[in-house]
Amino acid sequence: MKESYFLGIDIGSTTSKCILLNSQREIIGSSLVSAGTGTTGPQKAYEDILEKANLTAGDISFTVATGYGRIMFTEANDEMSELSCHAKGVHHIFPDVHTIIDIGGQDAKVISINDAGKVINFVMNDKCAAGTGRFLDVMATILQININDLEIHAREAVRPAKISSTCTVFAESEVISQLSSGENVNNIVAGICESVAGRVASLAKRVGIKEEICMSGGVAKNGGVRDAMSKSLGAKLQYSPKAQYMGALGAALFAYDKLNI
Amino acid sequence: MTKVNELLEQFHKVAVSPEEQLKSYLSQGRKVVACVPVYTPEELIHSMNLVPFGAWGAEIEVREAKKYFPAFICSILQTTLEMGITGKYDGISAIVIPSLCDSLKCLGENWKYGVPNIPFIPMTYPQNRNNDNGRAFTKAGYLRVIDDLEKITGKKFSEAELAKSNKVYNLHNQAMRRLSDVLVEYPWISASQRNDIFKSAYYMTKEEHTTLVNQLMDLLLEMPKETSNMKKIITTGIIADSRDLLTIIGENDMQIVGDDIAHESRQYRTDVNESKDALEGLADKFSRMDNCSVLYDVDKKRGDYIAEMAKRTGADGVVVVMTKFCDPEEFDYPIMKKKFDAAGIPSVLIEVDMQMNNYEQARTALQTFKDMLN
Repeated sequence: MKESYFLGIDIGSTTSKCILLNSQREIIGSSLVSAGTGTTGPQKAYEDILEKANLTAGDISFTVATGYGRIMFTEANDEMSELSCHAKGVHHIFPDVHTIIDIGGQDAKVISINDAGKVINFVMNDKCAAGTGRFLDVMATILQININDLEIHAREAVRPAKISSTCTVFAESEVISQLSSGENVNNIVAGICESVAGRVASLAKRVGIKEEICMSGGVAKNGGVRDAMSKSLGAKLQYSPKAQYMGALGAALFAYDKLNI
Repeated sequence: MTKVNELLEQFHKVAVSPEEQLKSYLSQGRKVVACVPVYTPEELIHSMNLVPFGAWGAEIEVREAKKYFPAFICSILQTTLEMGITGKYDGISAIVIPSLCDSLKCLGENWKYGVPNIPFIPMTYPQNRNNDNGRAFTKAGYLRVIDDLEKITGKKFSEAELAKSNKVYNLHNQAMRRLSDVLVEYPWISASQRNDIFKSAYYMTKEEHTTLVNQLMDLLLEMPKETSNMKKIITTGIIADSRDLLTIIGENDMQIVGDDIAHESRQYRTDVNESKDALEGLADKFSRMDNCSVLYDVDKKRGDYIAEMAKRTGADGVVVVMTKFCDPEEFDYPIMKKKFDAAGIPSVLIEVDMQMNNYEQARTALQTFKDMLN
């Protein structure tokens, strides 16, 4: 009997991620391209995962797209919101998680799920880059630090600097002022991480925190933000190295459900 | 069916092109008075043979109004002022602006300087409205409006004419309340079409609008009622007339089965007691209005009111359409949310303003909400 394959693609504002499942719901492939909606990134991520799995589009039984660019992705059979997909993906990996904090390239979301993994409440940030991956990008550029090194600098900090959590533009000015007054870069980076965490933690408190808590999305890769978030919430966080793929995983699981439930 | 569609199209045309309605009234030699939200005593204006004309802003870019308003103020008022400054209301005899929130008070003062060619008439309401002093205060406010209208338009006020107008408005209220219930049985009428019917009421005389609404209901009731698998929702907020938002509601298979929108059903909940003297009756009507963010309520009953509406209509959930920077609505929200949660009614908050050109976040939130309800 021919094997069935199920694909989830999460097209965000800055990255495109794919997850491929087999008929046993096992992850058999993943791809990530650092280009999101409105670019060639989604197509590249899609072609990449097929090529790596030695499959063609015709071999895929069902594809679900999610993320900001989900509507425009014509190869998908269906599309679902990224909140539902993150909930599905995280619940699959961490069945005891009840609160998901998903910080992506340009927005942040907090999702409350029940024991069955169903979304029961959620909140999204407003249209502001503060508290998102974009905020970290801007700050890393000002500090001339590789975004992936923010975590190392944050963990070296002695006394995190105070950075506004309200507005990226104001925060940018604050960082420049801190630099010109001679503040240590590690302290500034830790302050930036606390700023992101503080803003999103306040969103999380609006939904109501129920443990266990998990961080997903690209910003979850940053240990500095994870540490600051854990401190802000006063709770330990679950984290998967595949945090950035949780939306794509959820989409792939929904694709599986479409033909198997 | 053809006639129903014709009526729906008629409501749509009026709702999307109020400027044509304004031109039409002015060309007939009618004098028109703009009525700013949330509650302006339209009955008074109507009784003086003037045309009350809704001024709830529009989806336009704000440029000139920024000279008078800070950025953090609701877009309904910013765009209303913008329309005044840019001549969209030219030909209108006066504008009545009530005092029901701090931003409205600012609009009145800014209007005097920004739009000097259209006189501003303030309508000052009391906070504590439901007692003898409150009713006397409201009546005094109405007398001030009457006095200004007489001076500006040359028209004369009479209690007898107001009594007639109170009856016209009561009949319209009753028709609109009934409409909301009738539409539940016809889910193929979209959220946008429902809004067209409510919105057009602001740009037509109430006699005209009542006639059309009753015609529509009569035609609908001759048709078989329909059931659907759409998710039933209650909407709440100040205004929910964005075409994009309403389209997204439809795309997500949601049907509005009731609303607590100030621009829609909140206007029609309370009738004038026609057994009272006309002006006393109008003040008494305001004193009995309730469950609204701009009407002082120490008990904060609005959440219970909506929860009860959800139960009565069999709604699956509540969509809170939050007008950005509307303090009264933002103050009400956490209290309402607790009530919805306690009643086991799922809810979602969608933030809107009249200068949004991207509704993708709202789309994601509503799509997720639909998943929650499934």
